[in-house]
Amino acid sequence: MFKFAFKNMAIKKAKIILVVISIVISACVGLLAYNVAQQVDSGFKTTAGYYDMIIGPSGSSTQLAMNTMFFTEKPLGTISYEYVEKLEKDMRVNKVVPFTMGDSYNAAKIVGTTADFLDGKDIKDGTMFTEKFQCVIGAAVAEKYSLTVGSQLITSHGLTGEGHAHESNPLAVVGILKETKTAYDNVIFTPIETVWATHNHSEENHDEHEEQNHEHHGDVCAILVKSKSFNAYSQLSAEYGENSKLLVINPSEVLREVLENVDMSTTIVYILCIIILIMNIFIISVITLLNMYDSKKEIALMRLIGIGMNKINLVYIIQNGIIGLISTILAFAASRLCLVLMGGYVSSMGIVLDTAKIYPVELMIMAVVFVISVLPTVICTVNMSKKDGVSQ
Amino acid sequence: MIKITDVSKQFPNETAIDYNDITFEKGKSYMLLGASGCGKSTLLNMIAGILSPEKGSIEIAGEDMTKKSQKQKDKFRIEKIGYIFQDFKLIDEMTVMDNISILRLEKVDISGIDDVLESLEILDKKNKKVKHLSGGEKQRVAIARAIVKKPEIILADEPTGNLNFSIGEAVIKQLVEISKGKTLIAVTHDERLGKYFDCTVDMNKMTGGRRDV
Repeated sequence: MFKFAFKNMAIKKAKIILVVISIVISACVGLLAYNVAQQVDSGFKTTAGYYDMIIGPSGSSTQLAMNTMFFTEKPLGTISYEYVEKLEKDMRVNKVVPFTMGDSYNAAKIVGTTADFLDGKDIKDGTMFTEKFQCVIGAAVAEKYSLTVGSQLITSHGLTGEGHAHESNPLAVVGILKETKTAYDNVIFTPIETVWATHNHSEENHDEHEEQNHEHHGDVCAILVKSKSFNAYSQLSAEYGENSKLLVINPSEVLREVLENVDMSTTIVYILCIIILIMNIFIISVITLLNMYDSKKEIALMRLIGIGMNKINLVYIIQNGIIGLISTILAFAASRLCLVLMGGYVSSMGIVLDTAKIYPVELMIMAVVFVISVLPTVICTVNMSKKDGVSQ
Repeated sequence: MIKITDVSKQFPNETAIDYNDITFEKGKSYMLLGASGCGKSTLLNMIAGILSPEKGSIEIAGEDMTKKSQKQKDKFRIEKIGYIFQDFKLIDEMTVMDNISILRLEKVDISGIDDVLESLEILDKKNKKVKHLSGGEKQRVAIARAIVKKPEIILADEPTGNLNFSIGEAVIKQLVEISKGKTLIAVTHDERLGKYFDCTVDMNKMTGGRRDV
């Protein structure tokens, strides 16, 4: 039965390849759109968690939120470290974490902060940094640049990895974070003092003009604040918001706004996917029916020589089942390949796509694709079985 | 023995053919002659269980085909009847062997295929695609597929219809030779081939042609 089904498929290679390509493209688009939308959504929600206030220099609130939470885009500029010291003394504040960014190691950005910034993150190898010029690196950075505990990094000025090298201030890797599938995997963390010391030293040796996002001694790019209560947050937000040099944002609110835009895009993508899927259901059905129409001669001759209709049905169901199965598997593989290819782009936005992540809806899409690639065959052969072999 | 009794077959174009009673003896070969539309092929199709008459009975070895379900008729046909079609009914893109192997879907034993192809002088074409064969070779493949299962009855609907006379004559000679000991009923327009059969039946006289319903 299988042998005959394969032989029958072999003689219609071109048509079958077209059917498979059609199914793979439509299913891949559906799977990919759903998976990416879900991962981006959950990536945003996971990260927007702990801090209720971020203070930075005035500018774009989205840029400030994306820079401090997803390490994307450039910092808005710098604000004085005095704000950190002031907040640390404020009784309404639970935690204050300074944040700077201005250097990089190849494509990995370097964040100057305190150990508090990595609260809740597990260290896979080594320990947390405790001194200047020590660093803890994300899992993806360690893997990409083959770094281990004890490795020395020569960082470069700026975020592109192409600025002048800080050769006299190498960073020593003292810890590697456990993989989180978030933006943290792609970043290097070091004490904020490292950044200040590096740039003080650099400025002594390099007479370069200063960039807007170049940190000075005592400056920070942003301050992450966890206040003790909602009331405290409201007061602090109002107080610091009055300062025209500062921008105070609630990260959850900003991310909600970003997500609303993402949701809108996702909805558009879903609608497009549904249209594509409906079109492809139609195309797949028409192609399958045309295939079956071409097969009418074979079916008629099989019936005439006495092959039972149940056997004929089975042959064509096996045949289209194989086509459906191969197409579904290829569509899944293609969607994962696209995830890998998109991973680099999305990770630059701060979200690491997990290619192993499979959502139940994706399994449903695959099941539907399989069913619609077999169903027209069943309908067609059942209709044929109602007629005699001669009239076919 | 095949016994046709009081059979009438109606067609979608609102015509019908009434058949006179006729019996085909086991082990004999019959040639059915007659004008187009007189009901020769329809009779073969009814004997094979492909078509069902509206009236009458078709008994084969004591079993009334008209009483069988389609599934039983299909089973009977695959086991007991070898049917050779005028237009060969072969899949052009498949090889000779693949075309014959279709019978395996119903678990038909085709172990003697090489001997059959040898006897029909087409063993060397076994792995060739049907589309690359001549008309005479295609007809021999159709004959091979019909007889490889060693059927008790062989039905041939214009087996020489697509062949020139000399090739057609050779095919009929082989068919009659191979069918010895079985019941062979062949439809043909060519009276010159009658000498190879035990009996010739004039279907014009057996039916009287089509009548309006």
